Amino acid sequence: MSVEQKTQGDGGPDRPARHVGSRKRARAFPKGRQLDVEALDEVRALLQDRPRRHDLLIEYLHLIQDRYHYISARHLKALCEEMRLPQAAAYEVATFYHHFDVVKEGETPPPPTTIRVCESIACAIKGAESLLAALKSGVDTAKIRVVGAPCVGRCDTAPVAEVGHLFVDHATPERVQEVVRSGKRESEIPRYETLAEYRAKGGYSVLEKCRAGKLPFDTIIKEMTDAGLRGLGGAGFPARRKWQIVRSYQGPRLMTINGDEGEPGTFKDRYYLERNPQQMFEGALIAAWAVEAERIYLYMRDEYPAVLDILAIEIAALEKAGIIEKGFIELRRGAGAYICGEESAMIESIEGKRGYPRNRPPYIAEVGLFGRPTLNHNIETLYWVPEILTKGAKWFADHGVNGAKGLRSWSVSGRVKKPGVIVAPAGITARELIEMAGGMEDGETFKAYLPGGASGGILPESLGDLPLDFGSLDKYGSFVGSHAVVVFSQRDDVADIVINLLRFFKDESCGQCTPCRVGCDKAVALLERRQWDKELLIELAQTMRDASICGLGQAAPNAFISAMQFFLDERLGTEMAGRA
Amino acid sequence: MTDQLLFTLDGKVVSARPGETIWQVAQREGNTIPHLCWLPEPGYRADGNCRACMVEIEGERVLAASCIRKPSPDMVVKTATDRAVKARRMVMELLIADQPPHEDSPDRVSPFWHWAEVQRIETSRFPAHGIIKPDLSHPAMAVNLDACIDCGLCVRACREVQVNDVIGMAFRGIEARPVFDFDDPMGRSTCVACGECVQACPTGALMPKSIVDPITQHGTREVDREVHSVCPYCGVGCQLSYQIKDEKIAFVQGRNGYSNENRLCVKGRFGFDYVSNPQRLMKPLIRKPGLPKGINVDPANPYTHFREASWREALDFAAKGLVKVAEQHGNEAIAGFGSAKCSNEEAYLFQKLIRTRFRNNNVDHCTRLCHASSVAALIEGIGSGAVTATFNEVEHADVVMIIGANPTENHPVAATFFKQAAKRGAKLIVIDPRGQAMREYATYMLQFKPASDVALLNAIMHVIVEEGLYDVQYLQAFTENFESLKKHVASYSPESVAATTGIDAKTIREVARTFGRAERALIFWGMGISQHVHGTDNARCLIALSLMCGQVGRSGTGLHPLRGQNNVQGASDAGLIPMFYPDYADVKSDAVHNKFEQLWKTPLSEKPGLTVVEIINAAVSGDIRGMFIQGENPAMSDPDLDHARAGLAKLEHMVVQDIFLTETAMMADVILPSSAWPEKSGTVTNTNRQVQMGRKALPLPGDTREDLWILVELAKHLGLGWTYTHPSEVFAEMKLAMPSLDNITWERLERESSVIYPCPAPDQPGEAVVFGDGFPTQTGRALLVPADVLPPGEVPDDEYPLVLMTGRQLEHWHTGAMTRRANVLDALEPGPTVSLHPRELARHGIKPGELVRVTTRRGAIELTARADRAVQEGTIFIPFAYVEAAANILTNPQLDPIGKIPEYKYCAVKIGPAHGDEPHVPEFDIPVIASGL
Repeated sequence: MSVEQKTQGDGGPDRPARHVGSRKRARAFPKGRQLDVEALDEVRALLQDRPRRHDLLIEYLHLIQDRYHYISARHLKALCEEMRLPQAAAYEVATFYHHFDVVKEGETPPPPTTIRVCESIACAIKGAESLLAALKSGVDTAKIRVVGAPCVGRCDTAPVAEVGHLFVDHATPERVQEVVRSGKRESEIPRYETLAEYRAKGGYSVLEKCRAGKLPFDTIIKEMTDAGLRGLGGAGFPARRKWQIVRSYQGPRLMTINGDEGEPGTFKDRYYLERNPQQMFEGALIAAWAVEAERIYLYMRDEYPAVLDILAIEIAALEKAGIIEKGFIELRRGAGAYICGEESAMIESIEGKRGYPRNRPPYIAEVGLFGRPTLNHNIETLYWVPEILTKGAKWFADHGVNGAKGLRSWSVSGRVKKPGVIVAPAGITARELIEMAGGMEDGETFKAYLPGGASGGILPESLGDLPLDFGSLDKYGSFVGSHAVVVFSQRDDVADIVINLLRFFKDESCGQCTPCRVGCDKAVALLERRQWDKELLIELAQTMRDASICGLGQAAPNAFISAMQFFLDERLGTEMAGRA
Repeated sequence: MTDQLLFTLDGKVVSARPGETIWQVAQREGNTIPHLCWLPEPGYRADGNCRACMVEIEGERVLAASCIRKPSPDMVVKTATDRAVKARRMVMELLIADQPPHEDSPDRVSPFWHWAEVQRIETSRFPAHGIIKPDLSHPAMAVNLDACIDCGLCVRACREVQVNDVIGMAFRGIEARPVFDFDDPMGRSTCVACGECVQACPTGALMPKSIVDPITQHGTREVDREVHSVCPYCGVGCQLSYQIKDEKIAFVQGRNGYSNENRLCVKGRFGFDYVSNPQRLMKPLIRKPGLPKGINVDPANPYTHFREASWREALDFAAKGLVKVAEQHGNEAIAGFGSAKCSNEEAYLFQKLIRTRFRNNNVDHCTRLCHASSVAALIEGIGSGAVTATFNEVEHADVVMIIGANPTENHPVAATFFKQAAKRGAKLIVIDPRGQAMREYATYMLQFKPASDVALLNAIMHVIVEEGLYDVQYLQAFTENFESLKKHVASYSPESVAATTGIDAKTIREVARTFGRAERALIFWGMGISQHVHGTDNARCLIALSLMCGQVGRSGTGLHPLRGQNNVQGASDAGLIPMFYPDYADVKSDAVHNKFEQLWKTPLSEKPGLTVVEIINAAVSGDIRGMFIQGENPAMSDPDLDHARAGLAKLEHMVVQDIFLTETAMMADVILPSSAWPEKSGTVTNTNRQVQMGRKALPLPGDTREDLWILVELAKHLGLGWTYTHPSEVFAEMKLAMPSLDNITWERLERESSVIYPCPAPDQPGEAVVFGDGFPTQTGRALLVPADVLPPGEVPDDEYPLVLMTGRQLEHWHTGAMTRRANVLDALEPGPTVSLHPRELARHGIKPGELVRVTTRRGAIELTARADRAVQEGTIFIPFAYVEAAANILTNPQLDPIGKIPEYKYCAVKIGPAHGDEPHVPEFDIPVIASGL
């Protein structure tokens, strides 16, 4: 019997027996998206021999985004295959960060060049909206995409646009178009103090003393205590306490440096890193020495491309000089998420995940990066460390005024003549800072200010003589946070400012907890109404403050609560009803 | 009470156990704090994101999520302060703003609406968002994200509990939402439809489609009643709860059984509507005279070949036919196939019927086709055929070897525990010719050449010997024959087998060291080990490997052949084996023989009976002429089907007891329509040795009868004076024959649902791990049996250049009799496929999705080509559930000499274009997303 005959079945024709199931045709592939072999080759070419560790996912998404200016589903799938990562795990990370453009099958990729126009408050009052509109209608959208962006940390040169990675300060549509035409897209590295220059003027002598055992831990702690150096990322926690706490936990320990300076109005960290990065590095290495950290992860926001370049160069220089072992400082690049300035969110991001703040306790000092005790510091905090240990605690502490201790780097922007970073005593007042910034712009009258960026609430001119320091504004429902002072004048509408700030929080809320995710969204909707529902806003604010996981949701209502408290008589109560 | 700490909760000093959260203590104290993202069920970690459970802690600036916050000594917690109550209510109000109205909800009785009602929040003062369209792309589940509250329970369900890793929480802020893969429609994603997300979802955003209106998407989980039972599919033995409305299974929930901890897979959750498939046999059927027997009857219309009969007539006809054969050709001409899909009680009665009425031992079942070789090797080596440790012991293992098994498809819920172990840090060694899903979690994935198991395992043992990684003390205390094994493996250096196995020597050494240095190692294996002509040798190697490293008898160690069917362990225990009476009592032993003659009060045969394939061969040769087949489908499951079907067709009298007109039933002389699993009660024993209670949930349809009733009535017609009226009576008798059931009673099983055997006392749990102090062999020691490399029964050549492997797939159970009649399972895998590597396809000039013809020396079938990178080049894979392209037409019936198991996993095959005689079939309606190829 031949094979062909046999297939008919010995028991007779077998056709009728097939009436089982729907008898539809089976899939030609296993379930879900299939791997594109060509894409896999391309991804492998980008990754080269880099380790396929999951914590490096964001770095590798950058490689794809940088090379192809977007992340196609085929590349993302190939990356998953290469990293042995589930698709959903990669997709949720790629879509969390705003600097990644994930393009699925059948979707149109964005054009090769993106212009980001900063929409945050300092730029907004300097005409960001009309700049954005003009650019949107003035460019070839097939070649260029124009999008609004949260604060890029150049509030002193507002308004600002970024073409590719090249910033246009004091931007006008014409100036931006000119840059577009020039074809230049990469950032320009400013002149800064190199390692050699820093060492030439005595840099790294403190670290050397530490390492040589000439500056024992206890001595350093005493100095730091006397200096009263506090965490200048916004929380103000005494730096030396952190060192003591982290050191008290069983090693191995890690250290992170938070360079995700995203608080609208803040640009002091960029200021230091574009001028004297090595002073920060020396501070970092002293801190790492103090807590015996095995490794430092430096998380730098993607909005600072020049700083990223500088840091890469200077880390290599440190390695080459033998000050650190290769790989001791690992530079990690953010990807457009304000929330990663929150330390536990930043740690999640370094681990290659979405920037979701963690529930506390445990605190990161005990369970931090990769589950280890972790010391985290802001850039400026570290910047002061070598200087304090060189010049002495007294030098630093004595700078404070009005009962405060130490020096602060104030990011002053808005309607002042000379916006910029002003190094001035803690405890200084807004009015004094305005004076130091050259006074109000011509024709502008001081009306209101943000003492601490978008989060710290808004205060009226009548409270312009309050000493500004951690805790000093508590009773006004306000705080200095990252010391970002944005100054407003009579032409600025407080309600508009508040809506701008809340839109920022809505865009930047990670979405993890209900009070913040839904609260920010509903707050914007309520604030955009003709009449503010004061009672409901206050109720909402209370829950956001009480029940949000992290500081973003807890502080987001400060703007509208303080606005209602201090500006009710002026506009909000009476004239709000008439708003369009 | 050093471990406990004291704190104040609502003014009362309470104690917290280590690890307990405020929520848990409060609940223990009688105060259930509202909760949404917290699911107090095994496997779910608290996430603290919804903030519905906020409480006030004295001295803290902000409120705390009670679900995740652990109390510290002397903490003062207040759950009912104005601030806490307001925050909890505001969270609900914020969420309700964007929900569909309660009456329009996909789940009107969801936990979400429960907590809204408890807190008396019906509406929201906040403006609502736009409507989100439902995703109805999946046949089993409806996705209505407008009811989603982003609590992430579905993500934890998919990622952490079942570790299927399909759902993520993508995008940011208010845009955040659960997505499947890259935000794909659920039905086009890699979703394996375990339904864990559906079971976890607190809002109805993810629902079984069966209880949601297809148009309005309004639905409810409200049911009339529920019945606790156990899943009828694989050997994992998941406990489940039928949710019954209007006397139908509305949906199925997992229950917290030892082997499943609430988890289910697609079959156990969505595969139950086969019971009401229109093809159910409702009346006894007697064959019309003069029609040829074959695979030639439409299962929807048996009346072309059969006529209806009364039960009385059918039973009489069935009995008389068997008696006639026995009278004319002798008792030896009768054989019976029982079923691993029936209960222990039914299996016991089935073998008792054949043995006592026909005085022969020609009774077998599908264990012969799956683990007969494993059992043979285990009994030879350690004196027991069951697993030495439950698969849940994987929790305690630091090295886990999975070889010749594809648990994500065939033991999906067990696989979730393996994946969790790997995520926890256990090293997973996966050895399989196919690069299965488990590879993503494996430390080592050895995609070796098919049938080179013995060479590979000997080489691993070689390294362990060479590097002294074996456990001298253990070997001395508990084993024998190590010296000869040692000598034997000396010639199997990793270098010498690298070419045979396709695995480089360095990798073999690393794997050997990993296993050899393990503190606690477990070995799992499946049919890739057993279904070979050298299946027994394969298993011997695994047993030797485990024993030489002392990896048996402690927690986290052991040998675990993953049993296939829901009751294959139980049916074997109950004696559905030709050489054993219940509890593996040797039919040749006089003592055993006397015991059972006394118990059953009848003379018995001391001659071992024929095995499955031998019975079929005997049918072909005319030595077997009458058969009673209960719930088995040899016309699909046996190797070389044309031969097997011819044998069945040749029988003078065949009695089939089944729920559908299976391919076997088509050739019956009389068909007795029986009960589906949810329509009867009985116990089953899973791969873990758990004896579990299955409970009747549905009324019998039409004129069908419970299987036990049919067996008893048939026995009566055969002249056996049986009087059993309830499975509990059978169970009581089984206990007389089976010491393994000591301390396990029907009443206990009714009460506890599940007890592991062996069980030391009526009030103690059974033993998860056995043989910590020796083995039930004559010497008390385990025997290490060296094995040599034997070639497969048929190797590729120029004419048949590829290797065919057969097996199962996630959606289809065995021969497809049940699953292909379950709508969801059919929709997911509606037709037969042959899987090949894309490069192999390209070499043959075949495009994915094309019809192809697959031919072996035994036959040919035509089916759809599937491009699957997991299949290694040079091999093809075909699942055997599809009658229209039955894989077993192709397979080689050559048997393992000891286990008598056929070589389903290896034969020579060729592939080419279809001849085009395939009837036109509609296109598949769930297209895949193919970004490449």
